Amino acid sequence: MRRKSVVVVWGLILVLLLAACSGGGSSSSGGSGSEDGKVTLRMAWWGDQPRNDYTAKVIEMYEEQNPDVKIEAEYASWDDYWQKLSPQAAANELPDIVQMDVSYLAQYAQGNKLADLTPYLGEQIDTSKMTEDYVNGGKINDGIYGMNTGVNAVGFHYNPDLLEEIGFDREIPEGWTWEDYQSMSDKAAAKGIYFDTHLKPDVFFDYYLRSNGARLYAEDGSGLGYKDDQLFVDYFGMIAEQVEKGSTPTPDVLTQISGIEDDPVVKGEGVGIFQWSNQFVGLKQVAEKPLEIAPMPGPGTSDGLYLKPGMFFSVSQNSKHKEAAADFLNFFMNDIEANKLILGDRGVPGSSEVKDALKSEVSEAQAQVFEYVEWAEQNSSPMGAPDPAGAGEVIELLDTMSEQISYGQITPEEAAKSFRSQAEGMLGQ
Amino acid sequence: MANSKVKYFLYHILVGGFAILLLYPVIWLLVSSFKESNDIFVTAGSLIPNPFTLVNYPQGWEGFGGYGFGTFIKNTIVFVFWMLVGHLISCSLIAFGFARLKFVGRGFWFAIMLVTLMLPYEVVMIPQYIIFSELGWLNSLKPLVVPAFFGHPFFIFLLVQFIRTIPRELDEAATIDGANTFQIFYKVILPLIVPALATTAIFTFYWTWDNLLGPVLYLNSPDKYTVSMALNMFLSNETVSNWGAMFAMSMVTLVPVFVIFFIFQRYVVEGISTTGLK
Amino acid sequence: MLNSRLQRNLWGYVFIGPFVIGFLCFTIIPMMASLYFSFTSYGLFDSPKWIGLGNYTKMFTEDPRYLQSLKVTIIYVLGGVPLRLAFALLVAMLLNAGSRAVGLYRTMYYLPSLIGGSVAVAIMWRNIFGDAGIVNLALGGLGLDAIRWFGEPTAALWMLIFLSIWQFGSSMLIFLAGLKSIPSSFYEAASVDGANFFQKFFKITLPMLSPVLLFNIIMQTIAAFMTFVPAFIISKGTGGPLDGTLLYSLYLFKQGFEYFNMGYASAMAWVMLLIVAALTGIIFWTSKYWVHYESEVK
Repeated sequence: MRRKSVVVVWGLILVLLLAACSGGGSSSSGGSGSEDGKVTLRMAWWGDQPRNDYTAKVIEMYEEQNPDVKIEAEYASWDDYWQKLSPQAAANELPDIVQMDVSYLAQYAQGNKLADLTPYLGEQIDTSKMTEDYVNGGKINDGIYGMNTGVNAVGFHYNPDLLEEIGFDREIPEGWTWEDYQSMSDKAAAKGIYFDTHLKPDVFFDYYLRSNGARLYAEDGSGLGYKDDQLFVDYFGMIAEQVEKGSTPTPDVLTQISGIEDDPVVKGEGVGIFQWSNQFVGLKQVAEKPLEIAPMPGPGTSDGLYLKPGMFFSVSQNSKHKEAAADFLNFFMNDIEANKLILGDRGVPGSSEVKDALKSEVSEAQAQVFEYVEWAEQNSSPMGAPDPAGAGEVIELLDTMSEQISYGQITPEEAAKSFRSQAEGMLGQ
Repeated sequence: MANSKVKYFLYHILVGGFAILLLYPVIWLLVSSFKESNDIFVTAGSLIPNPFTLVNYPQGWEGFGGYGFGTFIKNTIVFVFWMLVGHLISCSLIAFGFARLKFVGRGFWFAIMLVTLMLPYEVVMIPQYIIFSELGWLNSLKPLVVPAFFGHPFFIFLLVQFIRTIPRELDEAATIDGANTFQIFYKVILPLIVPALATTAIFTFYWTWDNLLGPVLYLNSPDKYTVSMALNMFLSNETVSNWGAMFAMSMVTLVPVFVIFFIFQRYVVEGISTTGLK
Repeated sequence: MLNSRLQRNLWGYVFIGPFVIGFLCFTIIPMMASLYFSFTSYGLFDSPKWIGLGNYTKMFTEDPRYLQSLKVTIIYVLGGVPLRLAFALLVAMLLNAGSRAVGLYRTMYYLPSLIGGSVAVAIMWRNIFGDAGIVNLALGGLGLDAIRWFGEPTAALWMLIFLSIWQFGSSMLIFLAGLKSIPSSFYEAASVDGANFFQKFFKITLPMLSPVLLFNIIMQTIAAFMTFVPAFIISKGTGGPLDGTLLYSLYLFKQGFEYFNMGYASAMAWVMLLIVAALTGIIFWTSKYWVHYESEVK
């Protein structure tokens, strides 16, 4: 008994020592301390396993070419990432380079947490191969607060086999309209197949508004960007009908879908999905079906469509090495070898040179995406201002409204009114 | 004799059968970890993996960005160790003070202690983060571990309740034998609350193991990440999640918790009463 | 005389010292800061603007979602806590028997709680309660109609309550430790007197277990009010359907970190504190009538 406890005690001491050694040297968290002239940058992003792996390789490549710079990676899953970022911002401890999403960019930029990149454009960051719209994707008020990492466009990703099965050609006709969409849905519903899974309200209602010459948010972000509630009634009335006739799943079926693997299209129970172009590659990989991309239904498709920044890289206001950070962003945007690792995972690149170089490198699915985005470039209109602060709450309100309409708890007319009064309050703050 | 045998079987059928019912979800998880990632949801209703695959385990173990799952497990063990040391020492001291000593402000501090549990963490998180940032403790275990050395209300209250069930005559006898307050704590009370201490250890172990928010806030470098963070990184909000690997690693990380529980639960139940029986 | 009183106080503070120091260093400032924020309009990144009781009045007059979250949480607490505790006590008593296999059973019953609140659990729970999940299969087998667990707000809330009951292990373990601290001589004496199972339960087990029961009731009530993770992961962060699982903490989190209304979230937090503190106070007050301590501090 006594001997046993001696062993335990010594074991504990040993572990203590080990832990003290491993914990001791690593507490310097400043991140931007520059010993012996070496610049250390912290860089944070969210993402999945492949993205973490290739980004680490891009960093390695950059460090090899710039031996005086060291980049520390900090990555996490989407939910954890934003959980981490807000206290860091509040404490002015943001990493030098932060990956940003359209929905949060305004919040962080207006909170003065991100640096305006305008002084670095044309200096550290070469934008000569990018279009103006592309660079302006990160524009808030008069500054560029995020470098667009690549663009996406919405479209209909469908399975031609099932389209044939419900009695149509294997291809969505060019210039199809919402009426075509509805009549195709009828046929699908009659066969017990979903035509599409779900139109995410904030994305597609916005598209619908744009195709009718309006927008979801006012350009200055102070309120809603459409005057006529009839647009709301028409759009959500159509959606409710879709759910009712069974060509779109009910909200409770949607909640049970855990991920793309679980999607009706993958299971062969649905014709297609309306979603962003960057999601096509994953869908095709999982579905193992001959999927195709079609544009959104019209009329007014080219007014409705826009190229959305997939995500941004921003430089934090508290960074002590903004130039060095900007230089790395340039590498990430423009370096061909680096982009052969990235392969458009963060959106279709803006640099025409990079795009051309990648065409021969990418997978078949990725090539379809490139092709679609190229088409969309010619058939779209500028995005306009990113989501204003307060958009998060509005989006959720819209989701709730759409859900209530689908359950028949509220008529589209009532919802239109209620949405307007509540959303104006949220945005007007 | 025959009657007691029947009783014995009935007991096992009842208790064991019910255990299996409760374990169905766990079994579902285990089985899913042997399915191909794409099959998990398609064949969700089936408990037989077809095709059976082990590929999720090595794939998950590999980790990401150059850090294997072994690293995350090691980090979590170090984290758990400090939490255990902190909680066991501080909570037993504090609980003894509240349960046995009479001093001015006892009721006040006890109430304060419970109140700290009632304020949702979300609203104190940011100011607390700023304090730790001022101390230069970010990106280390310190903000997570150091507070453990100042006690945790849940365990303090738990130990207080257990100490209060111990007859006071024992202390008085020790006082007559010339023991001072610290000796009463150490020699009389501590051995008698072993079940509660074991409970504290078990809870600390698995709450720490499971703790997601703390590490997410305070650990920045992937080489310091804990298991709970790593598990979430198999998920993707944009494209394909590696469900298979996530389930597989969930099962792997369950093993240490399971083993620790199995070892420590004996101390929970082999407290004073059984030794008293012998 | 004075000296010994001083000494007693000193010993007291030596023992609870760590808590007091920790509280002063790490807890009091953030708590006071959040109290201050609750009277301001504060968006996390801007500086707080004093608006007096604005957040508090908004909560009860202008925000139907707040009242919904309060309602949902109260149902969750009142439905979940008693069931969970009763279940935990029952299982603890079953496992208190001294058979050899019981160690294994204890671990098996505890396993659901060990899995914790990861995404894996949410996925699993969603599958079990899904339209084609085992729960609806079982209901069908009993000749009952399937329940749309994800479509009916009430059903969805009960799905969460079932999850909390399923993870009853921590309460069970504490009950077990409490049961084991009851000297077996008490039961032996009672058996000699010819007491039956129920007499033993009400005359010995319950009074002797009452301090632990008090602990479990208070802690489970507090924890239930604070529940966040299950609601977040099972509803994918929405609190749906139709806000049916919008637990208080989830709504608070949304206000603070998704809508960036930290001032409002802080006010919500302090209202929650008042509610829980009042409830805890009431439980403590009743405890003098039913909790039995071997040693009262004189």
